[in-house]
Amino acid sequence: MEPLSRRRFLATSAGLAGVLAAGVPPARGQQREISYLCWNNFAPASDKKLAEIGQRFTKDTGIKIRIDHIAHSQQAAKYASEVQSQAGHDLVEMRMHFPWLYEPQLVDVSDLVAELEKKHGKVLSSGYEAAHVKGVWRAVPQYHAYFVPTYREDLFKKAGLKIPDTWEDVYTVGRELKKMGHPVGIPISQNYDSISTAGPVLWCFGAREVEKDGTTVAINSPQTAEAVEWYKRVYRDCMEPEVLSWTDASNNQTMQAGKSGWIHNPVSTYVVAKKKKLVTADAINHHRSLAGPGGRHETDVPRSIGIWKFSKHVEPAKEWIRYLLGKREVYDEYVMSGDAFNLPVYTNLQDHAILKSDPKYAGLKGEGVQYHIYGWPAPPSDRIQLITNSFILPNMIAKAVTGTPTREAIVWAENEMRKILKG
Amino acid sequence: MAIGHVGVAAPRPRASLHVRVRELLDRERFLGPAFVTPALFLLLLLVAYPFVMAVYFALSDSFIGRPSHFIGLKNFLALWQSDAFRQTFQNAFVFTGISVALKLVLGVSLALLLSRQLWWKRAIRGAVLLPWVIPTALSTLGWVWMFDSLYSVVNWTGLALGALDPPGPNWLGQRYHAMAAVITVNVWRGLPFFAITILAGLVSIPRELYEAAESDGAGPASRFWYVTLPLLKPVLAIVILFSTIFTFSDFNIVFVLTHGGPINSTHLFATLARQIGLETGRIGEGAAISLYLFPVLVFVVWAQLRYVRRQVY
Repeated sequence: MEPLSRRRFLATSAGLAGVLAAGVPPARGQQREISYLCWNNFAPASDKKLAEIGQRFTKDTGIKIRIDHIAHSQQAAKYASEVQSQAGHDLVEMRMHFPWLYEPQLVDVSDLVAELEKKHGKVLSSGYEAAHVKGVWRAVPQYHAYFVPTYREDLFKKAGLKIPDTWEDVYTVGRELKKMGHPVGIPISQNYDSISTAGPVLWCFGAREVEKDGTTVAINSPQTAEAVEWYKRVYRDCMEPEVLSWTDASNNQTMQAGKSGWIHNPVSTYVVAKKKKLVTADAINHHRSLAGPGGRHETDVPRSIGIWKFSKHVEPAKEWIRYLLGKREVYDEYVMSGDAFNLPVYTNLQDHAILKSDPKYAGLKGEGVQYHIYGWPAPPSDRIQLITNSFILPNMIAKAVTGTPTREAIVWAENEMRKILKG
Repeated sequence: MAIGHVGVAAPRPRASLHVRVRELLDRERFLGPAFVTPALFLLLLLVAYPFVMAVYFALSDSFIGRPSHFIGLKNFLALWQSDAFRQTFQNAFVFTGISVALKLVLGVSLALLLSRQLWWKRAIRGAVLLPWVIPTALSTLGWVWMFDSLYSVVNWTGLALGALDPPGPNWLGQRYHAMAAVITVNVWRGLPFFAITILAGLVSIPRELYEAAESDGAGPASRFWYVTLPLLKPVLAIVILFSTIFTFSDFNIVFVLTHGGPINSTHLFATLARQIGLETGRIGEGAAISLYLFPVLVFVVWAQLRYVRRQVY
């Protein structure tokens, strides 16, 4: 071993003291490593593909990436704990309105979005509503999965039923389907799928929960009364009371099990049936989103990637987003792995190859459909999210279909919304 | 100047560390605090600190990731305006009252049964503990399937036996049925705790008392009312106390089974607190919901412990 000179000993000691005092390792010792927390995708192949892309990213850039997954129901609690403790992952996958909820804790990523929009075209309106917070992009739109009418093609053919184009048509075919023992399946319970259907029904009838200003409650209107009356008729003549107890998974299961003839859900119902080779898979198909007197609207669930401000690796984190979403071939590969569940959220990519990969995805092309997130047209502030998370909309409908007069149910919802917006 | 002999005291042999530690441990003034300190430290870290933080959050407008301000009791007063909260308040008392009453009656019955000479006594006592041992979230998932609208084995059995009219009750979709379902699962899960604890109390009752009662001509009912029950009172008081606290603060069963529905009719403080505090980021309001019943529970604990002390001493 080479003897240690006094000068070298002093230099090393001083350097070590400096590192300890600053709390930052020297550049040579710093590992470029980032961590990314995302949900367990409903299309599991997509998670496998993400891991594969992560490995290639490390090989190409020298930046190590650790990708963790959690169930979507645990996301809110996990994110809250990371923010409160100011420690955790560098990047997080954000569902729908999360960027609004965690706005002060997220890095401004407007530069990244501008780069991506230059390559792929503008972000879709729902992606913009979700991640563009008070003039700043707080997360980078990643993909989206929207709700779509899903029906049993074989039953429709057998009974000679016309594919519905409006919510009123759903009532017409629903009566026949129920007589055939295959009722319509729209949840009216305390889950998010209930809101995902109640929203478009309301919007299509021309009703709103809260005005665009985010402060004026608009639920008490003749249009809402019409929408609620529609629900009452459909509940009575086209559905069974089981919908009052449904979870987010129930409408998928009832269609896959061969019971329901028509449901409103993302494409995952068909994707899972196909993957599991269920006997119903061949008979399930999709059609264009429905219209009403107020237009043709649909619920969208955009997802985006945010970077926590407490991250010490903002630049490597941005590099990962550029790699995953900015490289067209990588983004295409990622989208294709999701089997039409993770669709591109940029305008120039709307006619994507994934929609041609299966004839049953033809109904997903949403020509003339306006996609929104919960609470539209109000911006998804924390108060609007409290209205959503308190399930006021499905509870108003549940009250009405179980005997409360329509007017009384609407006034109840109006009062609850007012208290939240005032409080 | 006379120079006398200067005596230099020989240095005392220094006691070894081992000996000094032993001496220290022999002193009660040191040993007592030494034993208590780690537990006290843990209590401060894991109970006192989170509790103080929760009180602070409840008195603030704390929102995830944003600066918070002290607002006094505003959260507690504002909550009372919410229909969902008032419903939750009512649910908590109905749920806890009925559950604890059922667990008490069934627990005493089961304990009396288990105290008898049974075949495979140990195996049966072990099996009784199963619902208590299995993680609640996991076992409740089994109940979800049993009450499921599409696959309910409860309805299937009822229909097969002709006891129910098709299609059978919508267990988790109707107000009273849903409450009955969550109470059923809570009783199923909490019953072993009652049974085993009461059984321990039963075993400790001296046999001579029963023999004396029998010789005085007391029948089984009289022996239960005048011997068993009075001697079980301290145990019952403690079991009821613990169960009341656990049941009021239950979360898993409602969260997995009904998510608080239908129309908030099964929400409990913990599930509503999660909905408001974590899913919507309003930590202040969430903490206030969690702590709403704290003063009531403190009073219940104080009253019951006072009662127990009177019974024992």
